[in-house]
Amino acid sequence: MNVELKDIHFNYGKITALDGVDLALSEGACGLLGPNGAGKSTLLRILLGFLSPERGEGRVLGYDIKKEQFLIRRSVGYMPEDDCLIAGMDAVTFTAYFGEMSGMPRQEAMKRAHDVLFYVGLGESRYRLLETYSGGMKQRLKLAQALVHDPKLLFLDEPTSNLDPQGRNEILDLIKDISSKKDIQVLISSHILPDIEYTCSHVVILNKGKVAAQGDIEALKEIQYSLYEIKTKGENGGFLKALKDKGCRVEETEDQIMKVYMPANLSRNEIFQAALRENIQIRYFVKSRTSLEDLFAKTVGVD
Amino acid sequence: MVISEQGYVHWQGTFVERRFPWWPITRLGIRLAFKRKFFKFVFSISLLPAVMFSTGVYISERLDDFQFMLKGPDRLLEVNPVFFKSYFTSEPLLFLMVMIMVLAGAGLICDDLKYNSLQLYFSRPLRKRDYVLGKMATVFFFLLILTLVPGLLFVLLKLIFAGSFKFLANYPWIPVSVIAFSLLVTLFFAFYTLLVSSLSKNRRYVSILLFLIYIFSNVFFGIFYSIFHNPYFCLLSIQCDIQQVGAAFFRQSPQYDVPWIYSFLVLAAICCLSAFVLKRKIRGVEVVK
Repeated sequence: MNVELKDIHFNYGKITALDGVDLALSEGACGLLGPNGAGKSTLLRILLGFLSPERGEGRVLGYDIKKEQFLIRRSVGYMPEDDCLIAGMDAVTFTAYFGEMSGMPRQEAMKRAHDVLFYVGLGESRYRLLETYSGGMKQRLKLAQALVHDPKLLFLDEPTSNLDPQGRNEILDLIKDISSKKDIQVLISSHILPDIEYTCSHVVILNKGKVAAQGDIEALKEIQYSLYEIKTKGENGGFLKALKDKGCRVEETEDQIMKVYMPANLSRNEIFQAALRENIQIRYFVKSRTSLEDLFAKTVGVD
Repeated sequence: MVISEQGYVHWQGTFVERRFPWWPITRLGIRLAFKRKFFKFVFSISLLPAVMFSTGVYISERLDDFQFMLKGPDRLLEVNPVFFKSYFTSEPLLFLMVMIMVLAGAGLICDDLKYNSLQLYFSRPLRKRDYVLGKMATVFFFLLILTLVPGLLFVLLKLIFAGSFKFLANYPWIPVSVIAFSLLVTLFFAFYTLLVSSLSKNRRYVSILLFLIYIFSNVFFGIFYSIFHNPYFCLLSIQCDIQQVGAAFFRQSPQYDVPWIYSFLVLAAICCLSAFVLKRKIRGVEVVK
């Protein structure tokens, strides 16, 4: 396992940020999802050793998160959410500088900086002052500095924030390329679900400091629930209540279609039987293809 | 095939364990300082006192040749502890040191706070003390060029021009005093600069603050001293504190009738305050509890 956490607790004063987080990540790209305040950033900070958990233990790439932060940081790349730069520098010097800070020899860091900047698409503007970079270029630069020392594990915090659609697609393609072909595991914290769905094969959903779900995205979508779209005729108050009593979550859309999230252990016949009992006609019944958005809504309990 | 199409390539090298992990930070600080507007000019100007005093060392050994230039008593050109004390505690030199700090030191931490680069530093195998050392060493580099280097140069020039070791035989402690006082002043100014630099994210504000604290501490001393005629008010002035300590280091009587150790304690207290603030302000992430 590349990342392994057991019973991690962390509080900001009286506010609980992480409450008994257990996590196990191996190869590939993994998305870290959760609403605001779920504990995603805190989890990344703990993995990097910025914060020390109050309880629990964990290992990143086999190194203890409490005692061996230095070794972790040498093998891990981190792309923060905020814009980060050093005024008065160009991209090559900046990237090489952080390569050197990671422990690379100076000459090799400089050579590597050129390679990485070309890789992220900043080759032509690598000698420009960083203050003159656009938002998209700064995102690429942050990715470059995270990659310069060839990490085994890459932490990306909101990698597509502040990007236009084209820039977003390009960054996502880069992330996908890195995670799928380059033997680098990527952990992406994001609130943009399509990004996670596009780049990741695994997902960890955090809610209120706890892991609400984790595993392979496709498997999670299949195992945890089935989603049906239903259109009915008649007074459906009793029908809705019957479905909810059976553990289904029901959402009504603007075009009068009900989205029914059904637990895995429930048969779809139950829906028809409930309709029969409540004297409701079912005019439309389709098993919907579930998206990560649906999984997220179901797991976290928000629309 | 263009380079970008080659895609990502793994790095085949090996990491090195640096003996001084803070050195890249210092090197960058020095490099960025020289890129700043007016810095080269101010730095050149700040070397003028050293050039003048070096000339003084030469003239002191060639008094006969320069007799026509001497208006006052020739003891002014005697290279002795007073000469060294005059150089190290001269107001123009201290002022120029502050100007160097304003230009080269103000942004050391405040720029990192402003541009969120602390999290990039601390996501690397870097300790907090290495970060602070790296920033301090930048200030050390510039200020030691204005203090330690000229001080030792004066001793060396004196020995060369005199052609004997009589000077060292008379004042064997002078090189030690030069080294100790240079390090003390530089250490104090390094702490002072980093303290003020860590208080704000605005470089301009930090620059003004660095300058004003130094100037106004002196102004306040002047005001209180003229009203109350109490020499202890000299403790309020950074400049006077340095001068008092400098006098003690070069075995001269201090300008004000106040034990030099008090001034030393004031300077030490500012250093401690700085260390405390730096410990709280410098961290990879902002944690509000």
